[in-house]
This record gives sequence, structure tokens and C-alpha cells, in this order.
Amino acid sequence: MSEFKSGFFVGGESTNGRVLIVDDEPDIRKVVRMTLQKAGYDVLEAENGEKAIEVINSGENRLLLDVIICDIRMPKVNGIEAIAYFRQNYPRVPLIVLTGFPDTDMATSLLRQGVVDYLVKPVEGEKLKASVARAMEQRELAHL
Amino acid sequence: MDWTTSQGKSMTASSPSAHLHLQSERNESVPVPPPIRVAIVGAGRGGTALLDVLHQIGTIEILGITDKEPSAPGLQRAQEINVTVYERVGDLIKRPGLNLVMDVTGDPSMGPVLQEQLPAETDIISGQASRLLWTLVQHESTLQTELLHAEKLAGIGSFAAGIAHDMNNPLQLILGLAENLTDEVDLDAVHAQARDIIDAVKRTTAICRDLTSYSRRTSLRQDCLVNVNGKLDEALKIARYAVALQDIDIRKLYQPDVVVKGNPDELLHVFVNLITNAVQAMEHRGTLTLETSAVAGTTHVRVSDTGCGMTTEVQSRIFEPFFTTKPPGKGTGLGLYNVKNVVHRMNGSIGVDSHIGRGSTFTLTFRDEPGTGERTTPS
Repeated sequence: MSEFKSGFFVGGESTNGRVLIVDDEPDIRKVVRMTLQKAGYDVLEAENGEKAIEVINSGENRLLLDVIICDIRMPKVNGIEAIAYFRQNYPRVPLIVLTGFPDTDMATSLLRQGVVDYLVKPVEGEKLKASVARAMEQRELAHL
Repeated sequence: MDWTTSQGKSMTASSPSAHLHLQSERNESVPVPPPIRVAIVGAGRGGTALLDVLHQIGTIEILGITDKEPSAPGLQRAQEINVTVYERVGDLIKRPGLNLVMDVTGDPSMGPVLQEQLPAETDIISGQASRLLWTLVQHESTLQTELLHAEKLAGIGSFAAGIAHDMNNPLQLILGLAENLTDEVDLDAVHAQARDIIDAVKRTTAICRDLTSYSRRTSLRQDCLVNVNGKLDEALKIARYAVALQDIDIRKLYQPDVVVKGNPDELLHVFVNLITNAVQAMEHRGTLTLETSAVAGTTHVRVSDTGCGMTTEVQSRIFEPFFTTKPPGKGTGLGLYNVKNVVHRMNGSIGVDSHIGRGSTFTLTFRDEPGTGERTTPS
């Protein structure tokens, strides 16, 4: 991904950034990981909002997590609740919604809350990578 | 087999229908009229249709039915719903307390015979009047079926989120894997991913199969022995399209091999309705209990939630057509009305026990019917 000027140094490997994918479907986490790892990202997974909150609050992730990709319909803490938590506690981490259900009202509401993109499954790899790249730019701007 | 009318009537009279019970409480000042005691003469298509509609009405008591043809369909139906079958017209019309004889034989000589034998205070409907009545009854029966179907289709609108979730997740996997396969060089990975794609395609086709099966028009006269536990499990699969079940603790207290006689498609619709309502009442978090039992010839099916519960006023109206507590556009108000109709058609009863803040339990009660056939649905 040539558009990435900065690279983070995580676990001994240079990566384009660290992305957390939150989805209750292991298959979705698997393909998102596959797509983003190929593009040079370090990918973390969480199966629901509750786990995602644990992941972001653990160790270096507090500082090093660059982008969160989050589903909406999930057990325990659902996407809406998790996004509200992230916006409040980690306002600088850009959020991308990746959902199976296109809902215009929800998309509008989430974008107003500061979600950077609302993607509807199935999303092509190129589109997903472009969305993550835009989110990374926003993340970098937030650091300036 | 003791097919007495009192037996048949006790089924209706003891029916713990909250709707009827509470309605009568609400209208305490209105005296309850005595039942109209009816005899049906002729058990062909007309007699059967009349029987089906009249036996659902609490204020009508069917004293019996007769036909000169022992294999007439209405006689079989009468046995199924515990209405006394008479071999001879003379025996039926001698029943004390008879108010009305419905002659649906189509035989022009029957009218005069009845007039001659019956006391003056017993009314007779025959000839064109009887044809008109039959037409109305058929119309009513068609309307009920159409209403059930319409409500089912309206409900499927609420499945959109669930269907989208279940379709788009495997599609995302398929797309992601296919994109990866375009430049995957590891042959083992290629094989594994191809297999994953095949499995994902199978999952999406299962969704279509479930839904097309559920949305099909209910076939009439398809009563058979239905495996209740299997139907409840099938209903859970369908209900999860309408409501999120991920955070619902589902308890199944099934007695093995519980069966009831009825239309499997209609029973599935009843269960989907009750489960969907229960989950909605819990706002998607709580315990859903599905319970079946068959003791001493009586089968109970209970669907309980730990949700918001209902006031007595709401409980007294939930089985009324077009009554809904949901916001405009979210409910047809026909769900429980249709549920009640289906259960009554199965000669069962439905009751509700609900407490604000603690939840609701819907109980379906079916009395085992002797002489039921051997056909059982596979599920």
C-alpha cells in the first residue's frame, strides 16, 4: 500500500497499521484478516463488542490500535453499543462499520457519530482496503 | 368410542381462552345469551364447511351431524372435532333443546320431512337459504386462510435484517476467498478455500429453502400428526430472521415424542408468532422457555418469556383482530388473532398468564383425539 507514508513497528515486523475486526462470524474475521494482512496490516480479532472493548483496553493496543472495523448485529455488547464506547473512550481511533444489513437511517446516524465509513457485506477487498487506508489517514491527522 | 356431544361441548366451554374469559368480565352487565343448539343434516362439502366454522364459535353448540352416506367427509371431520355423528336423521332431530336444523343435503324432499317431524319452535334452514349460508361459510373460511397468509407475508417483511445478515455473511466469505484464490499459489490453501466456498453457498441455499417453505400458502385439509418439539425447533430457526436470538437464553423443556393433530404449516406459523412476540417482549435479552408435555390425553405447549409482561387490559384484547401494542407499521395486529383461530381449528385452546415486569406465558392446550391417523410430518 504505497499511500502509507508511516509504518508502525509491531512485534518485530513493520506493518501499515493495526486493525481490529469485530464480528461474531469467524468466517468474516477470517476473510477480513486475509485481505488486510496481504495489504500489510496487523489484524486483531474480537467476536463481539464486549471482547472488542477488552482487546482495545489491553496492553499496547490502547496506543497502537489504528482502525476498528465493527459489525452491528452481534451478541452481548452489539455494534451500536460498542461504537458508542469507542467514540467516548477512544475518539481518535477511526471506526468503519461492516454490516450485513444496509440501513440508511442507521448509516446516517452512525456517520453523524463520527464513523468514517459504512460498508455493506459483501464488500470487495479493494474497497475494504481503500476504506481502511482513508481511516489510517484520518488517524494520522488526529495524531498531528 | 364415546362421541357424546357433551364431551365435545366441554372442550369449548372449558377452553381457557383469556380473550373470551376476560371479555365476559369486561362486559359484566351484558347477559350471556344461551347457546344456539344446531343439528347439521348432510355431511358433504357444505356440511363439512359449516361444521368447521360453527364449531369455532363459542355461542353455537353443535348437537350432531348426520348423512346417509357413512363415508361422507363431514362425518370424519365431526369425529375429529368431537361432534356426535348420527346414523339416522330421526335420532339427531329428536335431541332435546334443538333450536335449529341446517339442511345441507341438497335433497328437495328433505325439507318437508324435517318440517313434518320437528316441533314448530325448531327452525329449519334448507333449500336456497342453506345454499346462501354455505356460500357465506365458504367465503369466511377462504377469508380466514387468506388473512393467515397475508399476515404471514407481512411478517416476512420484518425478516429483512435477519435474511440480510445470514445471506451477506456467507457472501462476504465467498467474495473474500474468491478474491484470494485469484493469486493464491499454495495448492492446499486453494483446495481448502474452494471447500469453504462450497459450504458457504450451501448455507445461503438453506436460508432460501427455509423461507420459501415458510412463506408458501398453507394447504387446506392437510391435517396430520405433527411432531411438536420438531416444529418448535423449526420455528426457532424461522423466528431468528425476525428477531435477534443471540442474547436470548433458550430453555427447551420437551417431553419426548409429543404430537398433536393439525396442519403442520399452520402450527409452525403459530409457534413463529409466539416465539417472535416473546423475544420482542424481552427486548432481545432474557430467557425464552419452550415446554411441551402430554399427560392423560392432554397436550400442553408453553411459550414463556421473562419480558415486560402485559396489563390485564392488554391481555383481554390481544386476541382481537387489529389489536397491537407495536408502533404503527411494526405489527399487523393479526398475529395472535390468527394464532387463536388456528388453535381453535385444531380444537385446542390458548390462554395467557402475564405479569408486568416478569413476563408472559402462552399455553396451548390440545386434547388427544382418538382415531387419529398414522401420518406424521418428518420434522
